[in-house]
Amino acid sequence: MPIVSPEFINYMPYILEGALWTFSLTFGGLGLGFLIGLPIAIGQAYGGRIVKTLLDIYVWFFRGVPLIVQLFLFYWGVFPLIFGVKLSALLTSIIVLGLRSGAYQSQIFRGAIESIEEGQMLAARAIGMTRAQAIMHIILPQALRIAIPGWTNEYAILLKDSAICFTLGVLETLNRTRYVVIATGEALIPYIFAGIMFIIYTYGGTKLFNIIYEKVQIPGLIKSGGM
Amino acid sequence: MTFWEEFLPALFKGVLTTLEMLAIAAPASVALGILLGTLRVYGGRIASLIATAVVVMFRGFPLLVTLLLLFFGLADLRIYLTPFWAAVLGFILCSGSYQSEYVRGAIRSIDIGQSLAAKAIGMTKLQEVMYIILPQAIRRALPGISNEIIYMIKYSSLAFVVGVQEMFAVGKHFNSIYFRPIEIFLTLAAIYLVMTTAATIFFKWLEYKLRIPGIEMGV
Amino acid sequence: MGGDVVLRVEDLHKSYGKLKVLKGVSFEVRRGETKVIAGPSGVGKSTLLRCINLLTKPDRGRIWLEDVEITRPGVDINKIRQRIGFVFQEFNLFHHLKVIDNVMIGLTKVKKLPKKKAFERAKEALLTVYITEDLWYKYPAQLSGGQRQRVAIARALAMDPVIILYDEPTSALDPQLVGEVLQVMKELARKGVTGLVVTHEIGFALEVADELMFMYDGRIIERGPPKEIVFNPKHEVTKKFFEKVGRLYGERK
Repeated sequence: MPIVSPEFINYMPYILEGALWTFSLTFGGLGLGFLIGLPIAIGQAYGGRIVKTLLDIYVWFFRGVPLIVQLFLFYWGVFPLIFGVKLSALLTSIIVLGLRSGAYQSQIFRGAIESIEEGQMLAARAIGMTRAQAIMHIILPQALRIAIPGWTNEYAILLKDSAICFTLGVLETLNRTRYVVIATGEALIPYIFAGIMFIIYTYGGTKLFNIIYEKVQIPGLIKSGGM
Repeated sequence: MTFWEEFLPALFKGVLTTLEMLAIAAPASVALGILLGTLRVYGGRIASLIATAVVVMFRGFPLLVTLLLLFFGLADLRIYLTPFWAAVLGFILCSGSYQSEYVRGAIRSIDIGQSLAAKAIGMTKLQEVMYIILPQAIRRALPGISNEIIYMIKYSSLAFVVGVQEMFAVGKHFNSIYFRPIEIFLTLAAIYLVMTTAATIFFKWLEYKLRIPGIEMGV
Repeated sequence: MGGDVVLRVEDLHKSYGKLKVLKGVSFEVRRGETKVIAGPSGVGKSTLLRCINLLTKPDRGRIWLEDVEITRPGVDINKIRQRIGFVFQEFNLFHHLKVIDNVMIGLTKVKKLPKKKAFERAKEALLTVYITEDLWYKYPAQLSGGQRQRVAIARALAMDPVIILYDEPTSALDPQLVGEVLQVMKELARKGVTGLVVTHEIGFALEVADELMFMYDGRIIERGPPKEIVFNPKHEVTKKFFEKVGRLYGERK
């Protein structure tokens, strides 16, 4: 019953290389989620009844269904059978993570937008801006800053969710760890190592976003929502 | 359609297994969350250090890693958990750690006057925490706790990696034999949606039931 | 007035970092007396009260409750606090408990009285402060400030303390609610409930206090019957402080 053999050290680089895939998944999902989530948030904050309902359904579906079900649904079902395309495991994963993250991010941005007091919009209209201009130049710059802490949290969540994509065969950190476990016959140290790496990746990214958050702070802008 | 005739009964069994896991893990995770959160605020140096270590570890590890660790990793140490219990334990540790953050934040958000008043009538620290602080903190943490339980419902789908025959495992199995991904996974999606929506309604009701004027829910 | 000594404070000192807030305070309170501590706003007066029930630990000095020295190490402070009532400026009623439960919880959980007895005591205390039954099953958030403070007084009273400490009990109240709380406090004083009150309400002192202690810069500069201190102070500082007050209350008897 080996606890750890020096053999494992040889496999560590293999596991660490997985970071490339882990971060591709994470940032791909985060980025796509941003591109989807922000318009949804604007739609939910300012849209009409029909638009809001449709968006609510989207959010409800992508937040209420487990990630792994979505991954399988899209990889084996939606893309090949409905769209007739054969996408790689990595690409499918990023798309699904993005659709899902978009649903979650939309709620973060929506909360941020709604926390900005009405007076801001009124003042913008009063100087002649259209709704769209007001949103672009006045509301969003404030809302995006307010949303950073929530968004940073989303990064941490995506990073951990990326591990689930191993089920489609993506060679990210956890999948590689599994192979090492199979190859060496030990499980304890490899999985602890993987876990620690995830903690480091999370911590590093969170630290980075916190620095950005500090840099873009505006005195007077209440950090956790407007007054 | 023999597919559905075979699939649905098996799926039903899977749903029962999922519910079984949740019925145990959900309450236990809440209890763990309250324990860890309280220890981190009020525990002595050793207790709060251990509690913090637990929280950092099980919040930092992806749930998958925790599950694999409990099932395969502990086996290296000759500790053999069944798939079911490895999964349940994993859910409790992971969700409990997340919940403890909400509890901790809630405790710290209670104004110090409550603690002073409790002391002033002669309560010991234990009495103060049990009768004055926690009843308020738990109410405040409720939205966060509800959120985590709903996450647990969804992440229960990962139990298949350690061999539990829950809902998703059944679906995956049937897909590999019959290859009907749209029907299978949409059905699974629908069942999960029903579960999470029902849970959301339940927790909204619970928040309503436990509300006290003067105590804002949510930290 | 003047029974046995219920509270004795000897040479109390307290500093917060560099700031020395209590510079040697000594006094005693006898059973049945009501004493008032007044003085300019600052940290000293509240700190003094909080030292007496050891919510704040004094740096130096000794305190006796009846004949027990409570500043000695090894003393069961929770038992001592059961015998000292404390009324906070911010009321500090337990948010999650109804009015009746707020008053009862000290009796059931700390004094371990059976529920029935606790309920009787709580009822009595609440009626003494004029909180009627229609309010007993409400939550603190549903009461006015004056009602809340009276409930807080009831909570302290119900524990049957040997002395009640009041820490600026009306300072957080809207002006029109101050009267109802002072009224209750005056009645308790007249009934012989021993009390030590920190307050700006000099009228209260003039009406019911046995002694007024003027505190300035961490020390008790002057003490004596309220009328003397307010209208005939000996020290310059005291004179300045009560100048305006004297004019205000000079008309009254």
